[in-house]
Amino acid sequence: MSSHDVMPDMGLYQPVTVEDAAGIARQFSTRGWLVGGGQDTYGWLKDRAKRPEVLIDLKGIESMRGIRETADGIEIGALVTLTELTTNSLITGRYSLLAEAAGRVASPQIRNVGTIAGNVAQDVRCWYYRRGLNCYRAGGNLCYADTPEGMNREHALFNASRCVAVTASDTGPALVALEAQMVIHNGSSERVVSAENFFVGPNIDITHTTVLRPGEILTAVRIPAKWANAEFYFEKVADRNVWDFALVSISAAMRVNNGVIEESRLVAGAVEATPRRLDRIEQAIRGKARNQQTADEVAALAIQGARPLNFNHFKMPLLENLVNRAVRGHA
Amino acid sequence: MTFMHIGKDFTPPDVEGKVTGTARYAEDFRRDGMVFARLLTSPIPSGRVVSIDASEALAMPGVVGIFTADDLPPSAPPANPALAKDFITYVGQPILAVAAESEEIAEAAIERIAIEFERRPFVVDPLDTLVEGGPDPYPMGNTLIREGAAAAAGTTASGTAVGSIKWTRDQIASFRAGRFPTGAPWGEEWAYGDVDANFAQCTTVIEEPFVTIGLPHHSLESRTGMAYWENGKCYFHGSLQSQTVGHAQLARMVDVDPANLVFINENTGGGFGSKIFPYPMMAVTGRFAKALNRPLQLRITRADEFYIGSARSGMQGWIKVGLRDNGRVGAVDIAIIGDAGSGGGASGSSAAEHVSIMYQPEAMRYRGMSLYTNTTPRGAQRGPGQNEMAAVLSPIMDKAGRQAGLDLVELRRINAPGPDALIGPRQGTISSSYYPQAIDQAAELFGWEAKKALPRQISATKVRGIGVGEGYHSAGASGYDGLLRIAPDGKIHLHTGVGNLGTYSYAAVLRAAAETLQCSWENCVIEHGHGENHLPHSTYQGGSNTIFTETRSSHVAALDAIRKMKQIAAADFGGAVDDYSIGGERVFLSSDNSKGYTYAEVAQKAIELGGEYSGQVFAEDLNDTTKRSVQAMQGTGLIAAAKDTLPKTGTTPGFAVAMVEIELDTETGKFDILDYTGIAECGTIIHPKGLRQAMNGGGVWGFGMAAYERHVYDPQNGLPANVGLYQAKPPTYLDVPLHMKSGATDMPDPQSPVGSRGIGEPSQGCAVAALMSAISDALDGHLFNRTPVTADMILNHIAQNDFNTGDLKTNTF
Amino acid sequence: MEIIRYRRDVWGEEVILGVSWDLLWVVAVTALILLAAHAIFMAVLAKKKAKPSSEGPRIKRHDAIDRAFHWIMAGSVLVLILTGIAPIVGLRISWLNIHWIAGLVLTFVVIFHIIRAIFWQDFKAMLLGPSDFKEPFDEKIKPGKYSFEQKGMHWAMTVLVIAVIATGIILFLHINTPWWNRPAVENEATLGIFFLLHGTATLGLIAFTAIHIYFAVRPEKIFYTRSMVTGWISEAEMKENHDTNKWKPE
Repeated sequence: MSSHDVMPDMGLYQPVTVEDAAGIARQFSTRGWLVGGGQDTYGWLKDRAKRPEVLIDLKGIESMRGIRETADGIEIGALVTLTELTTNSLITGRYSLLAEAAGRVASPQIRNVGTIAGNVAQDVRCWYYRRGLNCYRAGGNLCYADTPEGMNREHALFNASRCVAVTASDTGPALVALEAQMVIHNGSSERVVSAENFFVGPNIDITHTTVLRPGEILTAVRIPAKWANAEFYFEKVADRNVWDFALVSISAAMRVNNGVIEESRLVAGAVEATPRRLDRIEQAIRGKARNQQTADEVAALAIQGARPLNFNHFKMPLLENLVNRAVRGHA
Repeated sequence: MTFMHIGKDFTPPDVEGKVTGTARYAEDFRRDGMVFARLLTSPIPSGRVVSIDASEALAMPGVVGIFTADDLPPSAPPANPALAKDFITYVGQPILAVAAESEEIAEAAIERIAIEFERRPFVVDPLDTLVEGGPDPYPMGNTLIREGAAAAAGTTASGTAVGSIKWTRDQIASFRAGRFPTGAPWGEEWAYGDVDANFAQCTTVIEEPFVTIGLPHHSLESRTGMAYWENGKCYFHGSLQSQTVGHAQLARMVDVDPANLVFINENTGGGFGSKIFPYPMMAVTGRFAKALNRPLQLRITRADEFYIGSARSGMQGWIKVGLRDNGRVGAVDIAIIGDAGSGGGASGSSAAEHVSIMYQPEAMRYRGMSLYTNTTPRGAQRGPGQNEMAAVLSPIMDKAGRQAGLDLVELRRINAPGPDALIGPRQGTISSSYYPQAIDQAAELFGWEAKKALPRQISATKVRGIGVGEGYHSAGASGYDGLLRIAPDGKIHLHTGVGNLGTYSYAAVLRAAAETLQCSWENCVIEHGHGENHLPHSTYQGGSNTIFTETRSSHVAALDAIRKMKQIAAADFGGAVDDYSIGGERVFLSSDNSKGYTYAEVAQKAIELGGEYSGQVFAEDLNDTTKRSVQAMQGTGLIAAAKDTLPKTGTTPGFAVAMVEIELDTETGKFDILDYTGIAECGTIIHPKGLRQAMNGGGVWGFGMAAYERHVYDPQNGLPANVGLYQAKPPTYLDVPLHMKSGATDMPDPQSPVGSRGIGEPSQGCAVAALMSAISDALDGHLFNRTPVTADMILNHIAQNDFNTGDLKTNTF
Repeated sequence: MEIIRYRRDVWGEEVILGVSWDLLWVVAVTALILLAAHAIFMAVLAKKKAKPSSEGPRIKRHDAIDRAFHWIMAGSVLVLILTGIAPIVGLRISWLNIHWIAGLVLTFVVIFHIIRAIFWQDFKAMLLGPSDFKEPFDEKIKPGKYSFEQKGMHWAMTVLVIAVIATGIILFLHINTPWWNRPAVENEATLGIFFLLHGTATLGLIAFTAIHIYFAVRPEKIFYTRSMVTGWISEAEMKENHDTNKWKPE
């Protein structure tokens, strides 16, 4: 594959309303490509690994900007940048989990232009797929990563159905932990999907990472008040501390009363194609003291059902250790 | 010795441009009528081009031409061809270039070109081709043959061919298991002393296998070139580490008389050894522009740069080290299989040489070979051989030291190369060494003894590790030319053919001329970076070579200027030449300083006198490049040009020692570097900021080599996994300590007029070695026997799950 | 409209990816049009015949075990078709495991059926001979146990089912299962051919399944469907539709 490294000849639409954007998206369907910050767009296009015919630039839609307080929590416009998430007082004050996750995305330069919507809707991590090979996820009929000698160090431990790529999103697991709601607009109507159901695995739809259909736009993310000011834990382990995808990340939100965990949401990133809700852990720690002993008792549950590949066994102790930290509450 | 300029900071003239973004690199230049060329690269790891159908592409509006291997002089393996045809040997290898009115058209055209390939077997791990029956990377074999002899390693100079070398399955199995393979053939071999007898006298003997994985250079500035031809001259905007040393070579490559080649390269965004000399792709840029008779830019993309931008060789090896009861290294036996990629050479002998100088073994034997694989071509990368050896050697020597009950710094101190040190198979001498003092200086600045006493367990999940590492590279040559011109306005134009590869050494070395001339730096003008600036034949910028070599050249040019000024003054004011002195930018009679000329006046006199004073006559021993420059400037001032014939004996060494303290998280496999201390032994410091930059930059890359960067190939299809810069993982700001301590012994080398030697390469070697040592220390001396050591390896080790890659596999996770 | 989909393999060479799923719509629309045309023709133009009574003596047509086979096979084929086309038509279900499990069920019942048909059943009753081809053109000729259309449908389904099973098993070997991990694909072009055959056979199977279901629910044929549930047809139905010289029920 030659490296092209220039944009292909393609159309550009710059709508200023959601309705217009959705109309254009519907018109072009799979031939169109929504772009916000563009951080998971231009590489695909310059490599000719994806070949849409038109770009639909959403940056002119003012209604998709800003962070607002609502009756039940907050609403984050889809175009809010990751840097804004790390500095906005509503986020840092009440939902520091999201601020921390956003602050660990890629690099400062990418966070300055990358958006919350782009971060959750970005494509998966698999170097074969991102190289432009025509694998299952690209609509092909095989996987190059999960093979006897496949180089799959970064790949999935769980729920790999033919495709073993993992979610690359740092904010996705945090939003699932916060029980966020994703607001999806199709131009005429709006539907709201929980963050947990927003992401889809390869068993359901091997060529997409979210429930978004052609013609639909993620316009906002709502975070309910339920988890405001809860006890949070976020940690991302990547090879490098900047400009790197997670090897494994953990996002946790807990309600703790007198040292006892009343309710919790634990979600791991980079262990399967979607954020992985650790409901067994959540059940196991309910009503238990938030301490090292509880953490030691439950952490191993996190890796039950893992199916490691050739080079990713290390993710099992790593996931277990990060769960342990999240439950005990410190590194 | 008190210097005017040496040892003092200054602001090199290119700094402002780099900070403000106005500095221009090859890719920034445009020319009226310029066309854009782009490469079509191979999708297959091994094979040949059967046919090319470019008719559809050539029929596209805006496409102006195609350039293939048929348009270049023929080349035969193992030479690395600019464009492949009969021997495709790696994925990403350029096949052809297409030129068009825009880059977009060129890229669209590339997609319309149909190529029929014939595929051949391929291999990405040297041991997989070495085994009997294993696939060969070239149809004719897997190793370099020199003049028909079964010798391997080195460069791809003419008189070389590709041959075959194979081991039995038992020998491979033995080597993979960490044992020396009995009876196996090697490509090269050297030894000194009685190895077996010396091992017999050792009380501690250890044997260890090791693997170092190669890594791409990924120079931040890719090797884009722009060329145009006017009035028979070729103007070439390129990106090289060295400005003039490759002039004749580049002229041959683009098929022009050297006198008609103008090479322009004011700034180079890194080369790290991959741009020391002209590289094959430059031939395409120059010749394609000529064929089209239009200015042409051949832009090399980031991915192209990964493929053709060179990479460090990897090693698969075995070492046996013996310590005597006094801690001295009695004997070393080492065997190295070098991964030379699809071309270039491995560096096994240099790696062994590192062991020989740093530990001064009484006896030593090296056996090695260089094997090709269907991975990217390899070449010199910052301390080739030495630095990867330093990386794996450090924890291995730590193990030996621990077994012998020695402190790790003490072990180094006992064996440290002093002024009488000997190096390599011929046990040659060195110019000087204050390295033992450097170890002491580092231990004190780092606080080795205090840190050694600290508890290893910091918290339930954090452990401390401290390590020491050593770097070495030869650091100086001689025989190059110095050139300067004193203009009638009194400005001193210091001409240099040293490339500006970002280290500021091109400017720092000229300070030696200013020092010798006793002139103010503000009155000096640096002439560099453009062939029409009339540059001398200067040394190559590689191998930590520039500082020593070019301070000598600058010095001899200044001496030539002084001689000429004194002669002119003596002729006019009477007395002998030796009766005259210089100072305050004047030449004057020592006994009566009113009798003399300013530098401006003497320049005017030189013009009037002509002859050797203003460049009409020049020394015959000057290089042709220098001669042309002198001729071009004749009559414009006092011209001083001289070849460095100052005495030089033995190897000029550059040494560095580093100490690292890390805090390793046993739950994540990650670590923080708490303290980094690097001490250079590079003679006199000529530019403190430049030295700090070298030590910090080398240190950072050393961390990358130790913990992040490597080639990864899928053995099933020959595809590289980490082409992009983000996948290649050079360390980032948050992966390195905020403050890195550095220093130098600052003692003069007697063979340099200003006492200085280079340090570029040891600065990386000491860092990678120290970090490897610290990681091992944090894990109770565990040896991974491999670089890099990544977080997953540490986690697997702690989990004791046996999933770490073993069996000397390379180019893998 | 494309017939075959292509892609680039890991070496950049063009290889077959599979059948074009545009054809799915072609097959669906064509089958619908033809069946609708047939239904209209039968309703408006065809000569109306009196429907034989289902009362009276009952003639055994299918053993219980064969009826069970038929319905298991029918169920697995429908599940296979549904799960197979789900991702194509954008239906988001976790289809793959259901698909291969149904495929295994189908494989086992087909093997069972083949063995039973050869060794325990009147295999010849299903054979198509030259004389069968006169049957559609001469109203006087009545078939034995199975009509020409039934035999034709059976053999068409046999060929298609064996084709989807054979190619399906090869594709099955290329995914992870509880029993094995998938291998590296040595030849992507060959894999593509198997996908092409699997897809093409699936399209045929969809078409013939649609035809089969259509005729199974047609008023004049529905007694056959009843017989596949209950096992019997009436004597009147037999006499109206079959030649008792050729079919002598037990």
